[in-house]
Amino acid sequence: MPRPPQECAKGHLVADAIVIEGVTKTFGSKLAVDNLSLRVPAGSLTGVIGPNGAGKTTTIRMIMSIIFPDSGTISVLGKASAVESKDQIGYLPEERGLYRKMKVQALLAYLARLKGIDSGAAARKTSDWLGRVGLGDVARKRCEELSKGMQQKVQFIAAVIHEPQLLILDEVFSGLDPVNRRLMRELIDEQHRRGCTILFSTHAMYEAEQLCDRILMIHRGHKALDMTLQEVWRNFDPRSIVAEPIGEHANASDYLGIQGVASVRSSGRGIELALTDGAEGAPVMAALAVTGLFRSVSVKRPNLEDIFINLVGADAETLEGLKSDRELAVAATNGGAK
Amino acid sequence: MIKVFHIAVREFLATVLTKGFLFGILFPPILIAIMSILMPLLMNKAAPKVKGHVAIIDATGEVAPRLERAFTEDAIRQRRDKRQGAMLDEAGVPKPVQQAAKSGQGEPAPSLTLKVLPIGTDVEVAKAAIRQDAAAGASGGKEADEVSDPRLALLVIPLDAVAPQEGKRYAGFDMFVAPKLDIEVRGDVEAQVREAIVDARITAANMNVESVRAITSRPEASTKAITSTGEKKGSEIAQLLIPGAFMLLLWISVFTCGQYLLSSTIEEKSNRVMEVLLSAVSPIQLMAGKILGQMCVGIVMLTLYGSAGIFGLVAAAMLDFVDLSNLAYLAIYFVIAFSLIACLMAAVGSAVNDIREAQSLLGPIMIVLIIPMMLWMPILRNPNSTFAQVASFVPPISPFVMVLRVAGSEKIPTWQIPASIVVGFISVGVFLWAAAKVFRIGVLMYGKPPNIATLIRWVRMA
Repeated sequence: MPRPPQECAKGHLVADAIVIEGVTKTFGSKLAVDNLSLRVPAGSLTGVIGPNGAGKTTTIRMIMSIIFPDSGTISVLGKASAVESKDQIGYLPEERGLYRKMKVQALLAYLARLKGIDSGAAARKTSDWLGRVGLGDVARKRCEELSKGMQQKVQFIAAVIHEPQLLILDEVFSGLDPVNRRLMRELIDEQHRRGCTILFSTHAMYEAEQLCDRILMIHRGHKALDMTLQEVWRNFDPRSIVAEPIGEHANASDYLGIQGVASVRSSGRGIELALTDGAEGAPVMAALAVTGLFRSVSVKRPNLEDIFINLVGADAETLEGLKSDRELAVAATNGGAK
Repeated sequence: MIKVFHIAVREFLATVLTKGFLFGILFPPILIAIMSILMPLLMNKAAPKVKGHVAIIDATGEVAPRLERAFTEDAIRQRRDKRQGAMLDEAGVPKPVQQAAKSGQGEPAPSLTLKVLPIGTDVEVAKAAIRQDAAAGASGGKEADEVSDPRLALLVIPLDAVAPQEGKRYAGFDMFVAPKLDIEVRGDVEAQVREAIVDARITAANMNVESVRAITSRPEASTKAITSTGEKKGSEIAQLLIPGAFMLLLWISVFTCGQYLLSSTIEEKSNRVMEVLLSAVSPIQLMAGKILGQMCVGIVMLTLYGSAGIFGLVAAAMLDFVDLSNLAYLAIYFVIAFSLIACLMAAVGSAVNDIREAQSLLGPIMIVLIIPMMLWMPILRNPNSTFAQVASFVPPISPFVMVLRVAGSEKIPTWQIPASIVVGFISVGVFLWAAAKVFRIGVLMYGKPPNIATLIRWVRMA
């Protein structure tokens, strides 16, 4: 849920943590971002989704003033650019690494000092954070001695150690095992509860569904969707009932007789009943329940992947990107269940 | 500014606290110290005493008697000491240092005797003795011990070496030596024979040997340099070496730290730390901090090596050869030289993915920068040549050339020093501006490495 307006660097209230107006960015002949406009409300947890190469990382780098747009304006925490409010922003880039030879505690203290924290506080916060994520005993180890999961925790600490008002996470879950994915979700949620505005990008849409309260879809540098998750569920309601019968399926024609059912099709281990215009879901579910025994009967939720394909069309390149994302999601879900 | 300071501190500590740096900076002076102590000892131990006899077939009968006195042990030692003293004097080494060096040397003088063979002795038979003795010495063992007085050389002096036939020139002489005869002994024998023949000729011409020698002796120049503390015995070698040492010091410290900057930038890029850093600081702050940190490393190197050099000069009583104001110029030109090279290194480091790619970009730059090293001697000999004057205002070689010129023997136009410093700092500004542009774009570029043309295009981009 969006939070109330947030204080910016000088104590002014800002309704939107990020405001992008008509931003375009090209790399040579490639148009990476095309006339993009969007607002990220203060206190929201916004997911930027889209297949690989959609323009997510370019947009985030422009928000961070690491690269600059060819045209358009970007305001961050009420300032004309992120340069003026870098100390209030936490950033975990997609391409992230650590100084291999540096000790963990020294590295985090150094990065904290670069974010404007004095030396004493930096040392204290570093110890606190390392203890919280279970890395207290590696504080004096070199970064190269850490496992990949440990390194990712250290990277996350570096992004939040200065308690930023805005946290930008680019592909934060990529490369994480299921245990660390869960930990990362908890840490992000904790920051959100603290009141931090979070913008995170992912090409794995199921992650956005799990975590975000707002969705921003980007496709080929264009904004394809920008609304809260509740609005997404409401606006893209598939108007279908999904049911998983126990035992043999009845004939489809048996379900077509239920009032309000327009069509029936098999869906995985169950069936999917499309509703006629104007029909309510509840009476149909009640009528369905008396036709036999079911393991589950529910209103189908819209799937961001389906919505995305409906919105942008299903060209071969997009489908290929989404296929790999789906495989990743299945692998992560299966791994998480173990 | 405080962020630049934090970056500089990290860069400095990350460099100087590595084993590689400590080893690299301490190893050369330690090695030089060890070598200077060990070398004389090793050299002394390595040279065995030369012992044997020199045979002479003297058809004139005038040369052999003059050589009898020349090959006593004392005579040989005196000649050797005189020769070494002259060499050290030429090099400008002060007398106390010469004494110290002499006390460390205990190399024994050769023990030679002269064996006069009768006139008419078969030269081939006489030569065979050299061959046999050399073969016995080489085989070692009992046979070698038996040859206690080996024949080391055979001198054949023809009659017309002293008394030529009517209308003919003086003849030379033949000298046959053992194959491994010490080169110094060989030269000494040759010189003594030459001198004895000349003396015999003078006597044969009814002239007084001592008088002729006195008349023809080479006059020695007593060169003295006028310094602020008085007159000092001049030394051309010292005058050439000290400015060269200044430039070398500048070159080594600038390029060592430039190399550190290059590798640390490449490491940050390849480790993907760069974007994390850029979320906290701007590319310009990052680059400035890195350059500042490495400059401090360079100052540490310059101070350590410079101090060692000054101590060395004090110990050798040669400090007067160094104008202390040149040290101030060295510091100023170091800042200019390092900033220029650091900009190049930072730009190249940001643009490439590994050190191999950097080498191809640095190739043309290094060719330009090697110019002062190659033209060190001509610039020093003529610091006011057109080339030297023009090069003093061409970055990035200008600081190196100016260090040579201000430390050189000939005075350069005074206005050129402040002018070259101003031009140097303006160049630093331009280099920083260009490097910052390349750095900003390069740090986030991965994949195919850019070429020089691409880097220039990045500079021209807004």
